[in-house]
Amino acid sequence: MIRARTALVAALLSGFPSPGAAQEPAALPQRARALAETGHLEEAERVARAGGAPLTVVLAEILRLRGRLASAESLFAEAARATLPGYRAAQAALAELSLERGDRAAALRRAGIVSAAYERDGGRWPAEDRTAAGRAYVVLGSDDPQAFRAALRAFDAAVAADPALSEPRIRLGDLFLDKYNAPDARTSYDEALRLAPNHPRALLGLAKLLAFDGSSAATAAARKSLAANPSLVPAHLLLGRLHLDAEEYDSAGAAARRALAVDSAAVSGWALLGAVAWLSGDSAGFARARDAAQRIQAKPVEFFREVAEAVARHRLYADAVRFGQEAVTLDSASPSALGGLGINELRLGRMEEGRAHLERAFARDPYNVWYKNTLDLLDEMRGFRTISTRRFRIVAPAKQSELLALYLGPLLEEAYDSLAARYEYRPTTPIRIELYDRHADFSVRTAGLTGIGALGVSFGNMLAMDSPSAREPGSFNWGSTAWHELTHAFTLGLSAHQVPRWVSEGLSVLEEHRARPGWGAGPSVEFLAAFKAGRLLPVSRLSEGFVRPSHPAELGFSYYEASLVCEMIERDRGRSALVAILKGYRDGLDTPGVLKSVLGMTAAEFDARFFAWLRERFAGPLAAIAPWDGKSPPGGEFVATLRSGRELLEQQRLDEAKAVLQRAAALFPEYAGAGAPELLLARVYLAKGDQRAAAAALSRHTARDESAWDANAEEARLRQAIGDAAGAAAALERMLWISPYQAEMHQRLASLAEQLRDYARALRERRAVVAMGPADPLEARYQLARALAQAGDVAAARREVLHVLETAPGFEKAQALLLELRKPSPEENRR
Amino acid sequence: MSGHRRTFGSHLVVAIAACGAFAPASRAQDGGASHVLLVTALSGEPRFAALFHAEAASIYDAAKTRWGVADSSLIYLAEDPAQDPARIRGRATREGIAAALGTLARRAAPGDVVLVMLIGHGSGEGAESRLNLPGPDASAADFSAWLRPLAGRLVVLVNAASASGDFLPVLTGPDRIIITATRSAMERNETAFAEQFTKGLTSEAGDADKDGRVTVLEAFTFARQGVARYYEGKSQLATEHAQLSGDSAVARTIAFGTASAPTDPRIAALYAERRSLENQVDQLRRRKGTMDSTAYEGELERLLLEIATRTAAIRAAEGRKP
Repeated sequence: MIRARTALVAALLSGFPSPGAAQEPAALPQRARALAETGHLEEAERVARAGGAPLTVVLAEILRLRGRLASAESLFAEAARATLPGYRAAQAALAELSLERGDRAAALRRAGIVSAAYERDGGRWPAEDRTAAGRAYVVLGSDDPQAFRAALRAFDAAVAADPALSEPRIRLGDLFLDKYNAPDARTSYDEALRLAPNHPRALLGLAKLLAFDGSSAATAAARKSLAANPSLVPAHLLLGRLHLDAEEYDSAGAAARRALAVDSAAVSGWALLGAVAWLSGDSAGFARARDAAQRIQAKPVEFFREVAEAVARHRLYADAVRFGQEAVTLDSASPSALGGLGINELRLGRMEEGRAHLERAFARDPYNVWYKNTLDLLDEMRGFRTISTRRFRIVAPAKQSELLALYLGPLLEEAYDSLAARYEYRPTTPIRIELYDRHADFSVRTAGLTGIGALGVSFGNMLAMDSPSAREPGSFNWGSTAWHELTHAFTLGLSAHQVPRWVSEGLSVLEEHRARPGWGAGPSVEFLAAFKAGRLLPVSRLSEGFVRPSHPAELGFSYYEASLVCEMIERDRGRSALVAILKGYRDGLDTPGVLKSVLGMTAAEFDARFFAWLRERFAGPLAAIAPWDGKSPPGGEFVATLRSGRELLEQQRLDEAKAVLQRAAALFPEYAGAGAPELLLARVYLAKGDQRAAAAALSRHTARDESAWDANAEEARLRQAIGDAAGAAAALERMLWISPYQAEMHQRLASLAEQLRDYARALRERRAVVAMGPADPLEARYQLARALAQAGDVAAARREVLHVLETAPGFEKAQALLLELRKPSPEENRR
Repeated sequence: MSGHRRTFGSHLVVAIAACGAFAPASRAQDGGASHVLLVTALSGEPRFAALFHAEAASIYDAAKTRWGVADSSLIYLAEDPAQDPARIRGRATREGIAAALGTLARRAAPGDVVLVMLIGHGSGEGAESRLNLPGPDASAADFSAWLRPLAGRLVVLVNAASASGDFLPVLTGPDRIIITATRSAMERNETAFAEQFTKGLTSEAGDADKDGRVTVLEAFTFARQGVARYYEGKSQLATEHAQLSGDSAVARTIAFGTASAPTDPRIAALYAERRSLENQVDQLRRRKGTMDSTAYEGELERLLLEIATRTAAIRAAEGRKP
């Protein structure tokens, strides 16, 4: 029985109904539904109407899909009253329609009828009715979070009653996805697709999951769903949102209009149109979309909530908060409205308001992983400490805050001055920067979930990033990351948050390059090989590389490529062109418009110019690198020479290795990837006993690789060994920006700085040792007192040494320092 | 700082607090000699053998050169005596340890201090907790029996092995400070305690109050903090929790370090003046909460300058720099 049924459903959903099925009255509902599921809504409606009263619910469902809500509601009501076939689904649909309309009381009352009946004798209900019960519980979940559990149980019970039914599995998937539980959602959709491999809504579920994961495959998956059902409104809307994310406003608007052509009552369609209009600066278009939504729902909560979400994805967080407030004003009990508002307030650094709204959202929706994770994180942040500088608030775990602020404070102040001069713009201060000692916490702060790959994020004047302890030393440079994120505060602010992501990222990397030698991404073999193979995105499509990279390396390529675009513009047209570009976006121009007005080029001309410049800039290395298909490892003369040099080194054929590696270095001087020529050359020189040459080779490498922990450590050792205190100090200074947690490193740098009479740096390093909570705190504070005295702050030195001696009056070195500090100065003696 | 500490020639410094189990003041006045037994047990792996030896050798050298322990009172037993014949006197077997403790019991006079340091891996639980040795293991009960002849001496036994926690209740007794690397026999992972305790005992960093001597309590506290830092640095939950039994006030007064009693009455007077000033600082600190901060700081600075001046005078008289 079950097997036969499975075959029928599968056949229907594959678009191949069995020839005789339509003629049998019992098969009519399935046929009508199958037609509806495959987008043949007119035909479906015709079949349903032909079926008469028994198909009332099916007809109502089809009318609902077509946006004829009043007719649908009236038919659902009739079915519910007359207990026609599927009347429990009709009751559930009536509850859903009430909720969508904003009539929460009616929705809860109608859903309560179904749930009460289910709780009485649901054990005897068929799978379709159990599914209806699950839908009713989902409605009840808007008021009572426990109802979501009941919904899961009801959908599970439906699956148990009829394992061949896709519907409850898809509903389960939707519910899991709504709570950001992607793994369980995936399982449910996969199960549904095993039953019906071409089920449009299950395919749509997978597309949503891919979009959730930021996969470039999401667009294709959404299209596949639409191929199975061209009238599937949520699929059009997903596609539209994907276009919107890629800043393809025209395509996004077109997708919204296609959705609305099927269902003019789809508020989400109007929300997408509204978002497109808002992001395009079309206030009249936005007003039209808002009014249309209002005609459908007296209180269009979802319209404002969805617009808020869309504009937040375009970094317009202040606008997102305003829209979120509108949504909460319309329905102060909506968890999604409250939660969205809270998240965006937190992004603006409005911690208390954000927390309060999230608390309210979580109270109503405790299964929402984003709310839970974020609130857990906020609890954990109670153990954070805020350290203020002139223009920054540095927020970090208490144990690390002093150490990190010691370095970050001056760096950020320097960066602010540098960027303010370059962009002729000063963001409002204070700017808040949060550092997380666990990457998962940073990830939650950024996206509500663990697992995002970024190092930092800028919401404008609110920055967040991994602290250096969040990753292994050598994984990243926390100084360049902070500089990068702060640059966003300038570029977002100057462009009124209208700058496309690729421009903002490109400028941030460009500024990293300008901040310190070696900071920021550099050229890799893969990047140049991909360019040579024509696999780099043209500038006109560079946003795609950020939003939905088509292969894992594309995101990294896009960052570097974007920086090169900015580098070329500055080189050709000067710094003022960069400022003009940002102002162009601020004034509402799109990228082609900006290129035309600032650079006088069409997008195609600019693409051509950029690639020509790239060929010129990397002419040497490009000649030594073979085009890359992205599959096998890249090749070419450089790769072969480097390999040969490494092999010669391993065989201890040092003179030959040296010559070959020098050749490799000459072929691609900027290369600083794994096993770079200069690193191997340093080993050659060391093997030959030439420490000076080894140090020089390492310097050439560390000047290009911002996270070269081992190379810097070795360079510091060698420079100290050859008596180059300044060089050793510089290497240690670079290491601090990779990981500042080694007390021994600070002690060494302090000693070197003292040796170099760089007392300010020595003092900073002594402070760092104290901030780390050393094993010997009194010795550390004694050294700090000494450094203060050397730096000329005798009063502070005296206070410090008194503090030490208060604890340990027998500490002889400190006693001697106290006596020293009490000696009259030469001036006092002269007087 | 409180004036309880006193120094006795070049011997291990022992001052007896007037409370707890260490009652007989005569021992302190006599100035107890010191005796050290170091045991590095079965290593299991070459890296442990090297690590255990480095730790034991470090204490051995400190005892010999800085604490002034006589060669005849300094016994180091190891898994492989060939590893370092100059320092290692014999094999760390059950019989070897029993014999060494017997030797020290015969040599140690009442009031003397006997430091027993066990480094290695442990197993078992309760009285049957064991230190793993070449041949038969030695249990906590064995040590209990071997320590009995040392009654009246001040015994500091440090079992830095894994799973050492159950040694503590078995060995705790009068005139004893027992330290274990773990809080129970269930903490069986390799420990970081031995390395940290050794560092605390033998380096300036362990001297928390910077008076030139490291007490048992200072070394223990240093080690405990070092272990915590070790696990925190590795982002791991600590799998060892060191414990100390005995009177902590006494542990605070048993110090390791060089300090010789001055024979020159002029220098002795300076020492006395300095001790008196240190006591005044101690009393001043107790009044800190009741004093005006400016007055407190002024008085503190005056006293500290006085102390510093005395130290400078002492060092000048002794002909060495501070």
